[in-house]
Amino acid sequence: MVQLVGSLRKELADSLSACRVLVVGAGGIGCELLKNLVLTGFKNIEVIDLDIIDVSNLNRQFLFQKKHVGKSKAQVAKESVLQFCPTANITAYHDSIMNPEYNVEFFRNFMLVMNALDNRAARNHVNRMCLAADIPLIESGTAGYLGQVTVIKKGLTECYECQPKPTQKTFPGCTIRNTPSEPIHCIVWAKYLFNQLFGEEDADQEVSPDTADPELSWNPADTEARATASDQDGDIKRVSTKDWARSTGYDAVKLFNKLFKDDIQYLLTMDKLWKKRKAPLPLDWLEIQKLACPQEVTGTGLKDQQVLGVAGYSQLFSRSVETLRSMLADKGDGAELVWDKDDPPAMDFVTAAANLRMHIFSMNMKSRFDIKSMAGNIIPAIATTNAVIAGLIVLEALKILSGDVEQCRTIFLNKQPNPRKKLLVPCALDPPSANCYVCASKPEVTVKLNVHNTLVLALQDKILKEKFGMVAPDVQIEDGKGTILISSEEGETEANNSKFLSDFGIRHGSRLQVDDFLQDYTLLVNVIHCEDLEKDVEFEVVGDAPDKAPTPPSAQEDKNVANGNKDSAEPSTSSKAPAEQDDVLIVDSDEEEPSSSTMDVRMESGGHKRKLHDAETGEASAKRQRLDQPLAADEEDDDIIALD
Amino acid sequence: KRVKEESIISEEEAAQYDRQIRLWGLDAQKRLRGSRVLLVGLRGLGAEVAKNLILAGVKGLTLLDHEQVTEESCRAQFLIPVTAQGQNRAQASLERAQYLNPMVEVKADTDRVETKPDKFFLQFEAVCLTGCSRDLMVRVDQLCAQHNIKVFCGDVFGYHGYMFSDLGQEHNYVEEKPKVVKPKTDESNDGPEAKKPKVDPNETTMIKKTASFCSLKVALEVDWTNEKAKSSLKRTPVDYFLLHVLLKFRTDKGRDPHPESFEADATLLRQIRDDVLEAMGLSSELLPHDFVSYCFSEMAPVCAVVGGVLGQEVVKALSQRDAPHKNFFFFDGMKGSGVVDYFGPK
Repeated sequence: MVQLVGSLRKELADSLSACRVLVVGAGGIGCELLKNLVLTGFKNIEVIDLDIIDVSNLNRQFLFQKKHVGKSKAQVAKESVLQFCPTANITAYHDSIMNPEYNVEFFRNFMLVMNALDNRAARNHVNRMCLAADIPLIESGTAGYLGQVTVIKKGLTECYECQPKPTQKTFPGCTIRNTPSEPIHCIVWAKYLFNQLFGEEDADQEVSPDTADPELSWNPADTEARATASDQDGDIKRVSTKDWARSTGYDAVKLFNKLFKDDIQYLLTMDKLWKKRKAPLPLDWLEIQKLACPQEVTGTGLKDQQVLGVAGYSQLFSRSVETLRSMLADKGDGAELVWDKDDPPAMDFVTAAANLRMHIFSMNMKSRFDIKSMAGNIIPAIATTNAVIAGLIVLEALKILSGDVEQCRTIFLNKQPNPRKKLLVPCALDPPSANCYVCASKPEVTVKLNVHNTLVLALQDKILKEKFGMVAPDVQIEDGKGTILISSEEGETEANNSKFLSDFGIRHGSRLQVDDFLQDYTLLVNVIHCEDLEKDVEFEVVGDAPDKAPTPPSAQEDKNVANGNKDSAEPSTSSKAPAEQDDVLIVDSDEEEPSSSTMDVRMESGGHKRKLHDAETGEASAKRQRLDQPLAADEEDDDIIALD
Repeated sequence: KRVKEESIISEEEAAQYDRQIRLWGLDAQKRLRGSRVLLVGLRGLGAEVAKNLILAGVKGLTLLDHEQVTEESCRAQFLIPVTAQGQNRAQASLERAQYLNPMVEVKADTDRVETKPDKFFLQFEAVCLTGCSRDLMVRVDQLCAQHNIKVFCGDVFGYHGYMFSDLGQEHNYVEEKPKVVKPKTDESNDGPEAKKPKVDPNETTMIKKTASFCSLKVALEVDWTNEKAKSSLKRTPVDYFLLHVLLKFRTDKGRDPHPESFEADATLLRQIRDDVLEAMGLSSELLPHDFVSYCFSEMAPVCAVVGGVLGQEVVKALSQRDAPHKNFFFFDGMKGSGVVDYFGPK
């Protein structure tokens, strides 16, 4: 006789009460998930989140109220849950999951880990920790109306990093500096400008005209000549933007005329750029002041949705420069501001600067509301999508705890039903990828770079941490001597950071052994020396698709899993963070298209390719191929999407 | 019935609703703001729908439930405090529901919905029925459709759940589609290819559409005896028939299957299955023997899924934006599949 406790068999209900689970993230998905877990009968829950509550969270993170703004999400979530379930045993951590305190031993305490994250770095990290601890991980993500849940189990399924994921889109320097053609280019330029003037100056964030633009000349010698000429002219190139601004006392009018008149006039001298493009039209402060007329305020939209005129944005530019100047002064010597979309003068500044530039380059100007979306990488979010996904997470959890992990699925939530009437689409889980650089038995990668001009620091930060998701890498050169290049212990190898790889004898064919002891992860890096990487490209991972252009449909196998909009794990509301935020998801589109089978040893017959949509750009980015599971004779093929 | 739009959104609302305004637009938010909704039934599913609609920012939500809080219902639902036993369920849910969003007028009504006069329903733009008998749902649907009130029904039975909507014979809405613009490329014999600027790839256009819905009565009384219907059976979600069985159980027993009387209820369910399917001219094999194991009690995660879909359908209908699901959504929590299907006249 089946004993039920609610809907569940008694054995399952008992194991729910006993087991410990970890929820990583207490935001949109996290709040819904905590609620579902306690109502289902889970008793021992630990939740971790480094973020604090913001008013924009309140439309969906229902465990928080207005009075909680500014407080720890994990802490308040716990308190709210205890209100309706006082017997739940909840531990809350206001901390980053990437803190070394949360080591493999910590993860081993749990029967199950559930991610409710909004950034890829943390997802990569938790993925590795769960692999190291051999604990099942339920991964999920949402963006707007779309959502996705999947299960990761070492040895059984793909890990989070088995399929390479498209990295955040970047634009070439010359597009930003010389030839913007879309509003986003102007917005990126404005954010760079903010940093150059008020924040941390970054060599990769130049805003002045780029005389080394490859378009300018066929002949490298010409480019060289022009670059030298401008140095001799004593113009922009020699003095940093911040120094120049400081020398003028951050005079808004002088700044305006330099950026929107002088620099534009300079661009106009680079006539090759304008042969096939509409040339930019420089602005003049005084001329614009003459045009200024009172702005009509139209009543129906939000205040921020108004689009002002050039005069209006000039005024906004001037006002925000003044405000930022005094903010900088208040902070004292050597101070820097960090751009934050929720900081009004910072947002005003980018709105104004971006719009002025858009106007110069004959683009329609945009409202503050729209610019904030783009500049802040805001992903729209609602309660219902998170509610559905969090429900699915718990259902997968129940399967795992019942010992039915083979029943687990990846489930996609679409906006509209697909041609087979499915709004929620379960798909079979894929087996691990044999050459995954994380979960394969002896993972290896090959990286192309220039050993003569790649700094050790760049290897550590840009390649090992940013690209390969490590938190605390230790690097040994396989040179027979076991030379230690990078040590995760602070200070030990600091002297190496400013040296080039070639200084250590690293050359074409060198191998580096990289360990992250926290993640219990070892990666072998093969170095290929290359002197003709594309401009602005510091390294390339062999086997990766190129980052910049949308990938051609036939080229790539790409897994559609929740990733994240932020590459870093900084909290959305921390004062040090680039305030980019929220969950982003790469999901299957609504359409399934039948197609001919392709050459792929993993494929069995009878499947369809699915188009992927990048949640941010809405473009189909790549096709994904899936494995068709063999079906039991009488089983309804209803829950498995067959793909060619 | 046109929803009155108040043209000014306060700064507080703009800040709080920012992330959803960026998804469905300001117009949609204004329409929500002008809508009053009736929600019947505050069990697990009802609580989820209440949360979703209150967070979305409707003008008012009336929680209607005549039942009392039991020890069980405390565990089943996150709005009712553990100290509320003996109180009316709607009353007990009120405080926490209101805290979800002080800008929404949340009310509790303790009457039996059967006793409400017709005119009671007319004050709402949408009505959402959970835990109601088939006859009641049919009656309320008929009444509301006459007055252009949107009707939604939903329930959760164990691992299974469904949602039904009747948005009337002429439901108007808009869909936002991206404007397709191709950048022009010129042939160039001097230097790299160049594009003309100014083209904004993110521009969209709004397309007006209309959808037509049938009544619940008609949707439940589909004839399966003709050949055409029989041939479509293979593509028909079995949950449709499961729904008939469970609604009949509810009508006959005045309650849903309960774990405390599992054996007796399971036997009755199978009997009802045989009767219902036979009356439809269908084989009782359509619902396999073990179907009973998965429809007892309301599972919290299933309430979350169905409540999420249902909540979003209400939002879509009130805001008149995006294609509504027509007319049933069935969720099978064992398989993780969620299907939208239409039952009714072509």
